[in-house]
Amino acid sequence: MAKSGQLRLAADIGGTFTDIAAFDEASGRLMLGKALSTPAALVDGIEAGVTKAGTTFAEAGLFLHGSTIAINALLERTGAKAALLITEGFRDIYEIGRVNRPDSYNLFFKKHRPLVPRMHRYEVKERLYASGEVLKPLDEGEIVALARTLKTQGIEAAAILFLHCYRNAEHELKAKAILERELPGVFVTASHELSQEYREFERSSTVAANAYIGPKVDRYLSEIDAHLERAGFDGAFLVVQSTGGLFEAHQARKECVRMLESGPASGVIATQAICRELWIPNAIAFDMGGTTAKAGVILNQHVLTTGQALIGEYAEALPIQLPTIDIFEVGTGGGSIARVEKSGALHVGPESAGAVPGPACYGQGGTEPTITDANLVLGRLGADRFLGGEMRLDIKAAEKALYGKVAQKLGMNLIDAAEGVIEIAVTKMAYAVKAVTTERGLDVGNFVLVAYGGAGPLHATAVARELGITRVLIPRAPGHFSACGMLFSDLRYDYVRTWFTSLAGLDFDRFEAIFAELEEEGRWAIEAAGVRAKEIAIGRALDMRYVGQEHLVTIDVPSEHFAAQNRTAIKRLFDAEHERRYGTAAPNEPAEIAGLRTWITGVLEKPKFERVARGSETPSPASCRGTRSARLGEVFVAAPVFDRAELVASNRISGPALIEEHASTTVLMPGDNCEVDALGNLMIEVGA
Amino acid sequence: MSAVSPVLVEIVRNGVIAVTEEMKTNLMRTAYNMIIYEALDFTVGLFTAKGETVSISLGLPTFIRGMAETIKAKLKHFGPDGIEPGDILLTNDAYITGSHLNHMTFSLPIFHEGALVGFACCMAHWQDVGGQLGGLTTDIYSEGIQIPIVKYAKRGVVNQDLVDIIRMNVRIPERALGDLRAQITAVKTGERRFLELVNRYGKQEVLTAIAEIMDQSERAARERTRAIPDGVYEAESFMDDDGVSVGQPVPIKVRVVVQDDEVTIDLTDVSKQVRGFYNSGATTGTACAQVAFKCLTSPTDYPINEGSFRNLKVIVPPGRVVSATRPAPMRWWMTFPMTVIDTVFKALVAALPDQVIAGHHADLCVSLVHGIDPRDGKFFMAHMGPLGGGWGAKRNEDGVSGTVCINDGDTHNSPREQLETKYPLLIERYALIPDSGGPGQHRGGLGCETVLRALTDVTLNASIDRAHCLPWGLMGGLEASGNQVLVRRGTEWEKERPNAKVLTAQLKKGDAYALRSGGGGGFGSPLERPAELVADDVRQGYVSLAAARDYYGVVLHPETFAVDAKATEAERAALAPVHKKRVESQKTPVRRLTARELAEKPPEHPVMPCLRISCCGMVSFPFFEEETNNE
Repeated sequence: MAKSGQLRLAADIGGTFTDIAAFDEASGRLMLGKALSTPAALVDGIEAGVTKAGTTFAEAGLFLHGSTIAINALLERTGAKAALLITEGFRDIYEIGRVNRPDSYNLFFKKHRPLVPRMHRYEVKERLYASGEVLKPLDEGEIVALARTLKTQGIEAAAILFLHCYRNAEHELKAKAILERELPGVFVTASHELSQEYREFERSSTVAANAYIGPKVDRYLSEIDAHLERAGFDGAFLVVQSTGGLFEAHQARKECVRMLESGPASGVIATQAICRELWIPNAIAFDMGGTTAKAGVILNQHVLTTGQALIGEYAEALPIQLPTIDIFEVGTGGGSIARVEKSGALHVGPESAGAVPGPACYGQGGTEPTITDANLVLGRLGADRFLGGEMRLDIKAAEKALYGKVAQKLGMNLIDAAEGVIEIAVTKMAYAVKAVTTERGLDVGNFVLVAYGGAGPLHATAVARELGITRVLIPRAPGHFSACGMLFSDLRYDYVRTWFTSLAGLDFDRFEAIFAELEEEGRWAIEAAGVRAKEIAIGRALDMRYVGQEHLVTIDVPSEHFAAQNRTAIKRLFDAEHERRYGTAAPNEPAEIAGLRTWITGVLEKPKFERVARGSETPSPASCRGTRSARLGEVFVAAPVFDRAELVASNRISGPALIEEHASTTVLMPGDNCEVDALGNLMIEVGA
Repeated sequence: MSAVSPVLVEIVRNGVIAVTEEMKTNLMRTAYNMIIYEALDFTVGLFTAKGETVSISLGLPTFIRGMAETIKAKLKHFGPDGIEPGDILLTNDAYITGSHLNHMTFSLPIFHEGALVGFACCMAHWQDVGGQLGGLTTDIYSEGIQIPIVKYAKRGVVNQDLVDIIRMNVRIPERALGDLRAQITAVKTGERRFLELVNRYGKQEVLTAIAEIMDQSERAARERTRAIPDGVYEAESFMDDDGVSVGQPVPIKVRVVVQDDEVTIDLTDVSKQVRGFYNSGATTGTACAQVAFKCLTSPTDYPINEGSFRNLKVIVPPGRVVSATRPAPMRWWMTFPMTVIDTVFKALVAALPDQVIAGHHADLCVSLVHGIDPRDGKFFMAHMGPLGGGWGAKRNEDGVSGTVCINDGDTHNSPREQLETKYPLLIERYALIPDSGGPGQHRGGLGCETVLRALTDVTLNASIDRAHCLPWGLMGGLEASGNQVLVRRGTEWEKERPNAKVLTAQLKKGDAYALRSGGGGGFGSPLERPAELVADDVRQGYVSLAAARDYYGVVLHPETFAVDAKATEAERAALAPVHKKRVESQKTPVRRLTARELAEKPPEHPVMPCLRISCCGMVSFPFFEEETNNE
């Protein structure tokens, strides 16, 4: 058994499953466990998973956690009764939003729905100028009186948003202190603690979301904390943020919105870890599940991030103005429905059969043909192999749905219809990948496609072909991918501050002072963390644009340019990035800065990747499950089927072939060549 | 042409949408002026070699025709052999685009193996194209530089003379040329990506798939049209005035004929073109009809393409306010067409009660402020807007509050924090206006109000309409409040304005102005709205306690807002005849009340001020007074 402190445990709670990954530094062993999530008491699911992985909390020195609890509370609207205190005259900005109407011809368009109803939004007498100078001082007596109102109303959480607080946080701080004093037990949050960036609607949405989910997430994390303590755990409890970085659970309890995208982020971090291990510079993290496909980008082994996440459909989305891994999502998953309109148009998704009733082949009453049904009809999925054979698929039901609802209506045969449905889905997903690469000026052909999620391996080679990608990697245990990713994450603190200045007028000393202040805060947090960082790394970036533009381009700026006060070098970096992203630059035009960013990383000791057993080129007889008739390429072939669990390093398999594992199947098309690498990954060279 | 598989058709459909989306992204992100990047005052698209729309990415809905008509005009101008690979064509001819001179329209012919296979096009709003600054224009010549159909680039070589002429005719040339570069980026992106599609799937296959996409759209449009009962439907509304003849309403009368699977929208009786700058060209007249038609027959079908309109006939003789001819002034082209579109919905309420919508605020509610920024001594021009306003209620849904008008789409307002940083202005307020939504069984959405204080001497322009012709209700729903502009001199708010137009006003440091957008009309009788919903509206502050009683007949406890069921029943019974009179009186859209009438409010008038400037005038807001006292 491992000694305390040498074992790190990661728990990823999803809607259906709780995945546990445990890594023992002493033995270099990776242990995995999967248990059903237990919505009523999520801690039980974690406990069950830990037991399945064959370990205990008491042995661990580090507990890493990601959870859908925060995002679900937002999406399902099960958060707290929250109030928003806001600068006088601006009570409605959270409801008015950006006034846009993306669904331009739809008279039945919808807008975002605020998490805090109007009756609980209160105006406060105070006002700052854009420079941060005080126009109207905060009336502290008014806040005290408001606290009484909030108490009467039974408010559980209060958010504070004052205009221009990123230039002067004093009013927000004072108001927060008063509320905390007057309202013990109420969750209080101020916008500048989360975002020191301009855009009052986005910031109010961010702080309101934090208040809304705050009490629930706070309770949840403190329950886990208590459980850990009872179980004899005395290590550090860290939570995954939307950036993929870790922060301390006690911070997560206050800044809950930072963990909204912890699940998808962990998958991208896992991809990054593989890239670092295998010296792959650029990769697409491609995650295809039941309802959507998501794509993230690793560029030069760094994860691309963005400054804002949108929660929900674009037209109704609640913006969260925080650094987040840049993930593009498209409504194409295994459960996406294929349908033919009266006009004869064939569409696939975004409507999904979901988990209930699910695809027709699940035999749970679903009658709509889905991508999963098409895969079954084409023999790419085995009816008796789904979820390791735990769930038998009904091929007749799949055929019936696909024939009646697609093939017959279009005068096609069943097989062409199934093939067509997948082809459409594949091109749509290819556009999703293009959206995160080509549109940024990146040449997607130079990327490795790392595919995971239940449906990722099924479509990876097809998506790669569509994009001109020649290498696909299917990681080991794609079903535990996110949990494994957490084991490779680092402590990370992100700071953004709006500061408008022309590049020519940039006061380097001033900026150095702001950077120093923020970076000191980050260092302090890392040093105070319950886990020791190997080293501290600092990154700096500027949000820039040409004078007159609105849209900002974030450019990483090496510290030496600041030290040397080198405006020319900064301008060159910006011109080059603009050129790369948009194909145009204006080197003679002046540029301006809208804000600065810094991220402080406490680099943690990483687990070593486990090596799998080595064998010969030819897979062992034990791994061969015989053949299945499957349409791989132009015709049906008797495709050899392999059991992934029995494959060892150096095994080579050429397409057409199918490689099955518990929750997924990898499709090799004719011309594809797959080799199992030393870590157990399937490395596929995609044929022409 | 041989048929292509339905699968390829769908792939090409997603393909052309992705191409136009990427064109849009590139334009937005590289544009220099806020009107493009925030207001999305542009559109990009792919067209066939004949100039038919294949896919357009809006941008603004009423731009649905501008590019196609411009390409057709360019094809006619140069002839089939006059366009060569490497050419980029340009014009801003207002009578071709149907809009104003700000809309620089670039078209790039796409060639595949020497043959013209289509066009990539981009029409975008430049912040300044010269001409008179602010005020009202009365002919096209005072509105800026006019560029006929020309080649910006000929066989890959840019016409530098043209660039120099533009540079000398606009106020902020570096922005204008920045936008020009962004537009070139957009059309080149379109060309590159469309050719990728052609090379991947084959020219003939892609072109055939495009033809099939259009045919599918036509089939869908015809099928949905058949569901509309045959008949002749008419409606009328008014614009306040053309800015020249103040107080002289401009009639908007539309006629819709539905027969089997064909629709005719006849705009013959829309007002003749006007002297002030509210005219638009025939391209926009057609666009009005197409926008209304698409909203009712294929609202969420993409790509937007020519096929959807093959069963729509638009009659718009020249010389109307939406088919104006040279030299009619066109600078504020976008306002009147919105009311034309809304009036089509009004006409069709009998035919499609579940699909139409009550009247909306129907104006961008923007303002323009310019002056010298004391911080750097430089000229600045701030485009403030859009404000967002109320939308009409529907048969089964309340109207949406604080959202851009139908001329606009995915158009964003600007963060107030940024406006205050960029310009010497202070925003005192940005809020919803309680009671501005039209009462109804389903309530109209609320309008917005903003108050801007000048921190230096500035010049203000606002050309807002629909202050008097209020957003109408439907099927017994009542009208909403209209749009409004007011100026504060020192601490004194002006009491009244004849309309919502401020055609050049000098504001001194410390002066302010307020913009208020109208709400949306109600749908169905407010007496039918469940009392609990009214109580919740009052609790949230969308409806005042007084309005709950006076319009909805709902009596609430003044503190708990609990419904007094018995009193409500009595109130509703008593209110029934009054409500009937209100509906009747609101059938005449413009009713300016005389001073005497004002003194003796009509019996159907609510107890509370009605927010019509022509009636109760400006309502004083506690906020304004308090703010002034603090100064």
